Amino acid sequence: METMQFDILTISGAILLIATFGIVATRGFMDWLNAYRYQSIVLSGVTAIIGYVTGIWEIYIAAGLTLVIKSIIIPKVLTYVTRKLEIEFKLETNPYVSIRASVIISALLVALSYFLIQQIPFKSDQIVNVYLPVSMAQFFIGLFVLVNRRTVLSQVVGLLIIENGLFLFAMALTHGVSLLIEVGIFVDILVGILISSILLFRISRTFDSLDVGKLENLRDD
Amino acid sequence: MDNLLSDLTILFLLLPPIAGAGLVTVLKKKRTIGIITICAASLILIQVLFVVSKIVSEKTITAFGNAFYVDSLSAVILLSVSVVGFVAALYSKNYMGRQYDNGTVDDKHIVRYYQGFNVFLLTMLVVPIANNLGIMWVTVEATTLVSVLLIMLYFKENAIEAAWKYLIIATVGLSFALIGTVFFYYANINANNSEDAMNWTGMVHNAKHFDPNLVKIAFVFILVGFGTKAGLAPMHTWLPDAHSEAPTPVSAVLSGVLLNCAFYGIIRFHIISSVSIGPEFSNQLLVILAVVSIGIAAASIYFQKDMKRMLAYSSVEHMGLISLGIGFGGLFGIYGAILQIVNHAVAKPLMFFASGSVSQKYEAKAMSKIKGIIRVMPVTGILFLIGGLALVGMPPFNVFLSEFMILSSGFKSGQFIATLLVILFLVVTFAVFLRHLIKMIFGNPLSEMKKGEMGKLAIIPMVILCSIVVIFGIFIPAQLQTLIQNASTIISGGGFA
Repeated sequence: METMQFDILTISGAILLIATFGIVATRGFMDWLNAYRYQSIVLSGVTAIIGYVTGIWEIYIAAGLTLVIKSIIIPKVLTYVTRKLEIEFKLETNPYVSIRASVIISALLVALSYFLIQQIPFKSDQIVNVYLPVSMAQFFIGLFVLVNRRTVLSQVVGLLIIENGLFLFAMALTHGVSLLIEVGIFVDILVGILISSILLFRISRTFDSLDVGKLENLRDD
Repeated sequence: MDNLLSDLTILFLLLPPIAGAGLVTVLKKKRTIGIITICAASLILIQVLFVVSKIVSEKTITAFGNAFYVDSLSAVILLSVSVVGFVAALYSKNYMGRQYDNGTVDDKHIVRYYQGFNVFLLTMLVVPIANNLGIMWVTVEATTLVSVLLIMLYFKENAIEAAWKYLIIATVGLSFALIGTVFFYYANINANNSEDAMNWTGMVHNAKHFDPNLVKIAFVFILVGFGTKAGLAPMHTWLPDAHSEAPTPVSAVLSGVLLNCAFYGIIRFHIISSVSIGPEFSNQLLVILAVVSIGIAAASIYFQKDMKRMLAYSSVEHMGLISLGIGFGGLFGIYGAILQIVNHAVAKPLMFFASGSVSQKYEAKAMSKIKGIIRVMPVTGILFLIGGLALVGMPPFNVFLSEFMILSSGFKSGQFIATLLVILFLVVTFAVFLRHLIKMIFGNPLSEMKKGEMGKLAIIPMVILCSIVVIFGIFIPAQLQTLIQNASTIISGGGFA
């Protein structure tokens, strides 16, 4: 029974990482969004598993919220606001580091996060052991996507990955901080995504491009 | 009965901005919504003064169970938020009115502006009084979102760019702060505290039992996270963009008090970490970031061509000084740092208001195009000069006193290299800032300009702030002194005065 539980934990952690790599390895916005959606569904499953293992009912609510907000509402909103954008705005044609190298770097980041987590003195616990490195890896890969990609859309996706990593981190380490705070965080993300969608739209209209390289009017010289 | 009273106190503090935002949404008349916002801001100010007087006599207020916790440190931040909120509301009436008249904003957006302004004040009022550190994080993130909306009010390219950079950098930065907060929480529940484990009071009480390694990692995350929001270098890159592109009253609030609110987060965790592992670790980090910030600010001010960006970099410098004072420690340094929080909160909005009026008059923000302010708008010119002299720390104005205290505590604590470096940077800033200032204020305007001020409602807020700048340079009211004294004891003495 113990090992089976451990297997479920490991497999779900692996699926989360695979979905994250799905975002790193693809160029199109719709692909990222699908990968994000799968990741969020798995994440809500993982949350429910944590709820089951720890027996705290509040975690089930967090799982439900994750499912509704992250796998339904946010992808819907992003699909809706980007429906009018031209197709070339939605493709990451020219990242700073090539896709192939990005995958390798992401793999190194995963290794790094396993290494880092071993350095920190945590109470040994199956959930912590399995999910904490995964969440750290998501966080790092999200940061990497954010700085490496040039379109504004992929920066939004990078933020979303970071946020999923954070959520898993808090869940795995502390089994949910408290429902009130989690709801607050969810509201913050949702509003943040709405604002960034409006901004996205304005950037595409004002600059006639979604390349962050074009956003360089403001300088000190 | 006593509980009910403190619940009501907090409730009346938070009610005016909520009511203000609601009324603005319902009424939508350009003239009335400005006045409503001024009313809301003055109600907040009155209520905060009441809270502060209570804090001076009773030291703490706890309300709604344990949800809100106000002590002298929170009161200092509350005071700066409410004063700056009030003068910014006054200034908004004139400034946004002019923006409306020349067609920069339309009916829809002026309503958005006042809604955003009220909500912005609300979020900044909750940050210092929330006992639950998770709630504090949520409200700090909320301040980012609201202020991004306020910067986005203009459709200009620059405003959009600034809003985007601010949103992304601040959100990513704050995600570090959330990780740090979760680490502290974990350290707390690991030390067998399951009651109020996320509350600041709960953490400080239990901090001695935290795992030292966890605390160190957690504090680094906190410092990076809230440091980004507070504009400490090298995470400050969003700050000059956002502060220079926002509508002027919003710039004043962003620079004058939002930075303080973010720094307040660092201070709270600094206290926990000091109780847990002693102050040396966090002090050292704060001093390093401070020196880097002041240095980068000096270099950037040296090369600056844009008036508002120069003021923004001066905010980076001031945040560095606050961090330096806390990092040097000792009652003198910490007192200086808190005094600096107050002084920054009055001097910086004064400068932003003046520069806003100037750039409306000259229709330019580049310093090379602005000459002879004192001939064109004499009152604003004088206020601008006094504010500028105060900002660089010229005696007898208020900032001099706090800077002097901070620097002398540096020598006292034996950190000679850091102190000397900072003095060097401050001298550079002093010279360059004054040169820019004098070039703008004196001389002849480049083209013929009609002499005249920007209206009474633009002058009054500046006169209020300027008189505080001058008065605080000479003497600080006894009540405020007690308040700052208690706040410094909270920081140096393990969380309680």
